Amino acid sequence: MPSALVTASAALGAALLLPLLAGAADFSVREVAPGVFVHEGRALALDVPGHDDIANLGFIIGTRCVAVIDSGGSVRIGAALRASVRRHTQLPVCYLINTHVHVDHLLGNYAFAAERPQLLGHAQLPAALSRSRDFFLKNYAADLAPAAGAAQLPAPARTVEVGSDLSLDLGGRQLTLRAWPSAHTDCDLSVYDSRTATLFTGDLLFVARTPALDGSLKGWLAALEVLARLPARHVVPGHGAPGDDLAGAVEPERRYLRTLQEVVRGELARGVTLQEALRATDFPGRSDWLLWEQTQPHNIARAYQALEWE
Amino acid sequence: MRRRAKAVPGALQHTAPGALLLACAVALAASLARGEQSPPNGAWQTMRANLYGARPISETDDALMSIEAPASTPDPSATPLVVRFGAPLAGRVRQLRVIIDNNPSPLVTTMNLRAGLPVEEIDLRVRIDRYTSVRAIAETTDGQLEMRSAWVNASGGCSAPPSASAGGMLGEIRFRASADDKALQVSIRHPNNSGFQIDAKSGDPIPPHFISHLRLRAGDDTLVDADTGISLSENPTLRIASREALQGPLVFEATDVPSQRLFTATWNAAAASAGTR
Repeated sequence: MPSALVTASAALGAALLLPLLAGAADFSVREVAPGVFVHEGRALALDVPGHDDIANLGFIIGTRCVAVIDSGGSVRIGAALRASVRRHTQLPVCYLINTHVHVDHLLGNYAFAAERPQLLGHAQLPAALSRSRDFFLKNYAADLAPAAGAAQLPAPARTVEVGSDLSLDLGGRQLTLRAWPSAHTDCDLSVYDSRTATLFTGDLLFVARTPALDGSLKGWLAALEVLARLPARHVVPGHGAPGDDLAGAVEPERRYLRTLQEVVRGELARGVTLQEALRATDFPGRSDWLLWEQTQPHNIARAYQALEWE
Repeated sequence: MRRRAKAVPGALQHTAPGALLLACAVALAASLARGEQSPPNGAWQTMRANLYGARPISETDDALMSIEAPASTPDPSATPLVVRFGAPLAGRVRQLRVIIDNNPSPLVTTMNLRAGLPVEEIDLRVRIDRYTSVRAIAETTDGQLEMRSAWVNASGGCSAPPSASAGGMLGEIRFRASADDKALQVSIRHPNNSGFQIDAKSGDPIPPHFISHLRLRAGDDTLVDADTGISLSENPTLRIASREALQGPLVFEATDVPSQRLFTATWNAAAASAGTR
């Protein structure tokens, strides 16, 4: 943990107290398995009040310490999550795991600075953060602590390479962190608690909310083949309701991504331009998804530009 | 999604998600809260004087000329722009400039067209760094100037990481023609690095590496000749649609900077064309 983060956190304490209390009132967590707590994000658009509370967040309590999985889209939400941890345990937060680089999952990191957790992420996360940090600081200052600075968005101290799962010991339970090849983003990380067979998928899995493609369409489809077969009894998606049927939860997303691939390949074969493809509104199964209009054009643009080079 | 000429920006709900894209809406909301209706156009005022002096520029009549761009781009690193010329202009445009007011490098292209080539549509993909006006200025063979513009809400196009389309073989060229050969799209596999991106491994800035010039010619007869730069998307893509079928073979050339290497490929009309899909 960079010392700047720790130092700055002292000054932050007073500033955070008020929003922490205000935010805690409507911030809830649920124990989905023994010692595994989940806050379910809201199905809100990206530009409305509450946009900082759209991702699922969680924490897992061992006998030695606590691991937090994603911190929310603002320091305010991160502080509310930290307050929830404190209502359930006084053990220290030893690990703060970020499932990927998107703001709704990591802008709350700074709320945990005083706990001095080890920050963990995908091996590509440091680079992704360095590409995005200035942008976040400039455009999301209101979601960070006052005087938003780079110290609020430090790079992970420890990273996980694709193909080399990392095991963390919380005391009495082991977490397995897996880094995935480019899928939803180029830095997706999943977390598996073997004691309860609970899988935090990060945004590899969207339930109900339209999946957003920022990585690789083919890579994501390939990842889902593997993900769907993991031996999970509880699944916590990045967005949408947690459940107990992993393969069933993955299927709609897999169908959507496959359809996206087929639709765009068809458009390319027919000579449809990118502009025309973006304008198209017909899409099989679109009524199954929330916040479609926000996400679908972006996905079409990404898929089109990848598939046109096949 | 679509916008012709000038209109009041809106469609806050149309902003795409993603780390970089998410903030588009936030930024626009902030600008609207401050009462700003249109993006600042300082770059254009300077460029207008430099490029066109005090010459009059007509901005009316969408039937004559129009520009189409998404009001809120789904991909700031590759936003599609379409410029259309109506019947009175097709074949009478000798030069087209595209300018993105608020980009670090506003002049996207200066494109010369062969007189008489009845071009009805030109498509480009561009990087858009932030909320901006995007303009197309056409100069006719008799020296008249026509401009159309659109507002595009975007953020991060010039610093966005290489997208899903990154990779492949540098300089690979793809042609896509319409069945009647009236429209031809040419794309070149190239990072077109703006110099504003950060290397994923080292964290250092990626030096500019871009396509500075595009040319489409039939033998010595140049149809399209364009100076380009870092405001084109990665894998730069140009599409022209003509009133008449294009006659092959057409040679496409792209100049790489800083190497000055020339990438080239040949398109043959209709079924005879290898590499055309």
